[in-house]
Amino acid sequence: MTYPTLEQKMQALKVVPASDYERQCVDAIPAGDYEIAVQRTADILDEGYEVFMRSSRSSMGVAGDSIVAMFTAAGDLVNASAGTYLHAVIPPIVIKYILARHAENPGINDGDIWYTNDALYGGIHNPDQVAMMPVFFDGELVAWTAALSHTTETGAIEPGGMPLSATSRFEEGMNLPPMRVGQNFSINDDVLEMFAAFGIRAEANVTVDMRARATTADRVRVRLLEMFEREGKEFVTGLFRRMLDDAEAGARARISSWADGTFRCVNFSDAAGLTQGLLRNCQMELTKKGDHLTIDFTGTSPETPSSYNAHPQAVVGHLANYIYEYVFHDLPISSATFAPIDFIFPENSMLSPDARAATSNAVMAASGAMSAIANCISRARFGSTDWRQVTASQGNGGNASVLAGVSQWGAFFADMIAYPINTEGQGAHATSDGMDAYGFPWCAFGRAPDVESMENEFPMLIPMSSHWRDSGGAGKYRGGVGTAQLWVTHHAPYVFAMAIADNSIVQTPQPLFGGYSQPTVPGVVLNGINVTEALATAESGTLTLEALLAGEFGGTPTSSTYGSAIHPVNGGDSIIIGLSTGGTGYGDPLDREIDSIDQDLVKQLVSPESAVHLYGAVLDRNGRVDRDATIGRRAEIVAERLARGVPYDEFEAAWSERKPDDSILGLFGHWPDGAVVTPLMRP
Amino acid sequence: MTKLHVAEYLDIDVEAERWHCHDCDRDLGPARENYKRGLLVAERDPSEVHPKVIEGEYTFSPNGDWVRLLEFYCPGCGRQVETEYLPAGHPLTRDTDIDIDSIKARIAAGEARINEEGKLEVTL
Ligand SMILES: [Zn+2]
Repeated sequence: MTYPTLEQKMQALKVVPASDYERQCVDAIPAGDYEIAVQRTADILDEGYEVFMRSSRSSMGVAGDSIVAMFTAAGDLVNASAGTYLHAVIPPIVIKYILARHAENPGINDGDIWYTNDALYGGIHNPDQVAMMPVFFDGELVAWTAALSHTTETGAIEPGGMPLSATSRFEEGMNLPPMRVGQNFSINDDVLEMFAAFGIRAEANVTVDMRARATTADRVRVRLLEMFEREGKEFVTGLFRRMLDDAEAGARARISSWADGTFRCVNFSDAAGLTQGLLRNCQMELTKKGDHLTIDFTGTSPETPSSYNAHPQAVVGHLANYIYEYVFHDLPISSATFAPIDFIFPENSMLSPDARAATSNAVMAASGAMSAIANCISRARFGSTDWRQVTASQGNGGNASVLAGVSQWGAFFADMIAYPINTEGQGAHATSDGMDAYGFPWCAFGRAPDVESMENEFPMLIPMSSHWRDSGGAGKYRGGVGTAQLWVTHHAPYVFAMAIADNSIVQTPQPLFGGYSQPTVPGVVLNGINVTEALATAESGTLTLEALLAGEFGGTPTSSTYGSAIHPVNGGDSIIIGLSTGGTGYGDPLDREIDSIDQDLVKQLVSPESAVHLYGAVLDRNGRVDRDATIGRRAEIVAERLARGVPYDEFEAAWSERKPDDSILGLFGHWPDGAVVTPLMRP
Repeated sequence: MTKLHVAEYLDIDVEAERWHCHDCDRDLGPARENYKRGLLVAERDPSEVHPKVIEGEYTFSPNGDWVRLLEFYCPGCGRQVETEYLPAGHPLTRDTDIDIDSIKARIAAGEARINEEGKLEVTL
């Protein structure tokens, strides 16, 4: 086995130093041509991204949960079009591995298609797969292209690519190390058949997505070659190196502008796969000094006996989601922006597990890191002229549902439905509320599909998909609300369903500067409801989450964890409520503008009870906020706070004597440091 | 300006090396210490803020046996400066340590200043 070590992976994230030839090429670029050519790279990649979405079959691919990228000959990422920034910084690990290991045998040739989905070698988790093509110009390797996306079937122990019950990588289906899957611009038929065999639950999704990656990588290759032919090798080589230089300089300047300091955040979750337990899924210490960041995960809970583990580069990918969306939003998507950032991963933690670990739910394991980075960077930059970019964390729920079975069209399918995850609420900003139902924290530009498209694709009826009232964390600025949906089996006797979650008992993100986090997300099923009758009696606007929970449409709501193993859902009488979490709140709720509370009430984004209890509102007989009475009530609440607050040292002395019940600490590691207590055995 | 506005409700007086409430200017202690030591703390059951919407074990409210809601108030004005959701007894997070010496050195070197908004502004 030659999979890269942690040190090799972290080294591969760093840009290869410029050669003398590259420096000469940079110097030779005529003024003005550089900016035009940078835009040209973006246009090529945007074309690739469009090709990719139109060629993909899985919901995630169609939703745009993907990235299309170009690299130097040495494998450094120059620019990308996204989609999701999750894959932005890590493909160089794979390309550099191929260059180091396979240049001689089997060799790297024009027309090759290379492929991997194994996180051990540099990916996120095995549903995330990448096709890469070398670009040859005049017989010389001059660049690489890649297309990455999430396919929702891998042939694992459960359908949908993110099996909750997998306990090691041996239960996760297809894991391909970097390998050549095609030659002479064509995918090998035998390899395609292997994909079909692993993807037998949803053959079309797996094989079409695989071809979509290859065709997208090839489109970018063709356009890049046109650029090489028109502008010459010297110009494009200089262009790529200068883009790397500019990206790194931009990143360093931004980091430099903040005050030096150290910033910390801890985050928790309540499950690893199907096992319940308290985890500190991230303990982050971010140190900013000069133009450099060190991000230390020491103290994060141990690796888990489930698929909720993430290999370190996958964690870095998750940080990129936040960093590109909010910090480096105006810089090229480039390896070089991460040059000033170093990482410390504790061995055998859930963010740096053993090679045998299951990691297909790496995206869940890393939700704490994604939350902590928002919190720590916001604290680091609030004192700078960047402060308007400060945000509370996204909700980072990722409450995903997988459906599988035989569709109304007689086709086998296994897919993660894109609507719920793409409608989470956004974290609140330093100057405004988070956007309601803004999207998917893992994929800033993913799109929630239309209900009609989903009903056409799956044997499901979705009679309700609306804002989820009170789901945004309260604050001076409120987290955006998420959504609630109804999913009813329709045109099929049953479907198989599973759901992924770790936020039914505790929420992972910490709020910012005195706000509150979002509510937890239970799994709610309405048993004994006659769906047809219920829908027939629903007047426009009356079918709401609150009305369903109150039993106004019949049936008995029962709650459990949102996460569930694969199980059948019969047609006709059982309703699953899909929930997409809200964003986290910013600032003291008593600081919220009174007019904003009123608007939230009118739009039914905040309940009257929350307006009263969290925001100190006093409502008049029409249910509108009484301004003067509210000002008076808020003064009373401040007095209540001062009466119940205890001096810090006194509080801490009593607090530090306490400990949660041992029954929930089985996954936590040693209390309170999180160290490994019993090493895991994965025979 | 010598006061840096480092968090929504916190200033650091860089010269005097003291934390202050941004709203009421209350002195909250030495800037090289944890600012939370100058605040009041209240522990609440999460359900006081996140109502239990349905019956049963999973209710839309974080479970108070798993995590507690901690609120940190300015003793001067009662502003809710910070909140944190922590399991009982979990170490309280010292979330912000600003390197005072570095700020002083950058200002002295003419590299940066504290502008009218109270923000560190790079001048070079
Ligand atoms: Zn104050």
